[in-house]
Amino acid sequence: MIGFLTLLEKEIKRFLKVIIQTLISPIISSFLYLLVFGVSLGNSVQMKNGVPYLSFLIPGLMVMGLINNSFQNSSSSIVTSKFSGDLEDLRVVPITNMQIIMAMGLGGVIRGFLVAFVTGLVGYTFHYFKLGEVMKIEHPFWILFFVLTGGLTFSFMGIFIAFIAKTFDQLSAFSTFILLPLTYLGGVFVSIETLHPVWQTVSHFNPLFYLINGFRYAVIGFSDVDLTISILVSLLSVAITYGMARYALVKGSFSRW
Amino acid sequence: MNQIPLELKNLIKTYPLKESGKFVEAVRDVSFAIKPGEIFGLLGPNGAGKTSIISTITTLEKPTSGQVEVFGVDVTKDPLFTKKQMGVVHQEIINTGFFTIEEILKFQSGYYGLRNNQPRIDYLLEKLSLKEHRSKNVKQLSGGMKRRLMIAKALVHSPKLLLLDEPTAGVDVGLRESLWNFVTELKNEGIAILLTTHYLEEAEKLCERVGIINKGKIIFIGETHAVISQYSTKKVHLEMKSGLKVSFTDVASMGLVEILEKNKIAFSDIKNIKVDEGKLEEAFSKMVNS
Ligand SMILES: Nc1ncnc2c1ncn2[C@@H]1O[C@H](COP(=O)(O)OP(=O)(O)OP(=O)(O)O)[C@@H](O)[C@H]1O
Ligand SMILES: [Mg+2]
Repeated sequence: MIGFLTLLEKEIKRFLKVIIQTLISPIISSFLYLLVFGVSLGNSVQMKNGVPYLSFLIPGLMVMGLINNSFQNSSSSIVTSKFSGDLEDLRVVPITNMQIIMAMGLGGVIRGFLVAFVTGLVGYTFHYFKLGEVMKIEHPFWILFFVLTGGLTFSFMGIFIAFIAKTFDQLSAFSTFILLPLTYLGGVFVSIETLHPVWQTVSHFNPLFYLINGFRYAVIGFSDVDLTISILVSLLSVAITYGMARYALVKGSFSRW
Repeated sequence: MNQIPLELKNLIKTYPLKESGKFVEAVRDVSFAIKPGEIFGLLGPNGAGKTSIISTITTLEKPTSGQVEVFGVDVTKDPLFTKKQMGVVHQEIINTGFFTIEEILKFQSGYYGLRNNQPRIDYLLEKLSLKEHRSKNVKQLSGGMKRRLMIAKALVHSPKLLLLDEPTAGVDVGLRESLWNFVTELKNEGIAILLTTHYLEEAEKLCERVGIINKGKIIFIGETHAVISQYSTKKVHLEMKSGLKVSFTDVASMGLVEILEKNKIAFSDIKNIKVDEGKLEEAFSKMVNS
């Protein structure tokens, strides 16, 4: 247990050393997204149930910050350790694979949560000044639930990719070709109903779609997907990506690049 | 469990080569054991398989066949137990950019389940002359300091088995001496030490026993002085009172009196005698090249 806590502490201290970059860049990007999409474009977008587009967009941006940073944290932790050679040390000390995965997973969740939180603060500020009222949070418990499951899923994914990646390019290829489309087709910016039917079908195979909608439900009280399905898919995603991370630790390489 | 800190039984390690579909036979049927309080030197040229052996002991690599046992426990069967018994100094230097020496040693203690390990950390910082650098970031350290940090890391949990993969590479002469003294101290505490090195002088000074490995095979294993007397050339240089100088080589098996008698030299004619016992280095190159 002490071994696990130490590793978690190290993961947290690691990103706290770069906390400014960690938080400034999502502040800037969410500020820009909100300015362009939320405020300028938002006036012409009509959502069902009369929800302002800004309220629709904010939870989506929060999830985007969450998953990107969870993924980033665990994958960059592993990749930099591969460069410096201290990933080998992790294999040499008496810590189990499960402890490694959980510590890195939670480290990613915490960073992802911080970014989502800051994104939320920026969003709420926008919301207040644009619409003159504070945005309500409908279901705080489910927010925590989706932060945890979504964060873990993408941290585990980061572990998986970083361990099996042979080069830095493979890692960034994953971000560009998999993560980015998943995010954009997952309903961060638009409701699925506005998409072409083909893309609607595709979206239903995207686990991120359920996560975003679950989280959106937690914040604004409704979404494109039934809550139960979102919960089940999110739990299943955690289980599957955990399995993938474990596989990578057993099969992948701890040796340096 | 038993009392043998390390035992290798017919260890074989081959690496697949993805590109050609061939195999590299890095370790070929290696067996040896190390006793508590013993420094065992593993010597061999580049690519001989020394690091591969260490990697299988630490479970960084899986043995292709054969066993590695630490205190009688197979490292692949109960790695948590065997990992707790050993400390490792890797050949390649680590270069983490994020943390200070002190933080790294605290984390390392935590990995072994040790919360309040400050006295041990202070002791190691002192012993390895790292005290004044304790709050420096690893990136700010010189190569020799990093090497010493790695040694400190390997020792935070007071292991009973220490694996040193070329621990003095890049360490200057003065510090090398003090490291040797430190390693000897550890040995006197009863720690078993596996040392690989390219400095044969180091092996000669520290190791009671050595194994010489070439192309994955152990070609000699035994006491260090036995290797030297068996494989190196003993030389005797005589300076006569007349000013004449004579040298006799390849006289390993002969005593001085025997040499003098055989060459009909009277003891009283000799002004000075110098005996060159031969060096491990010479024995080593003879063996490896034969
Ligand atoms: N991960 C690996 N994959 C493929 N081949 C490897 C791998 N690691 C080592 N080898 C090969 O195995 C052989 C033994 O290498 P090893 O690193 O064990 O030698 P060494 O005795 O430690 O050498 P040195 O003195 O240079 O450190 C070499 O031929 C090396 O190329
Ligand atoms: Mg080596």
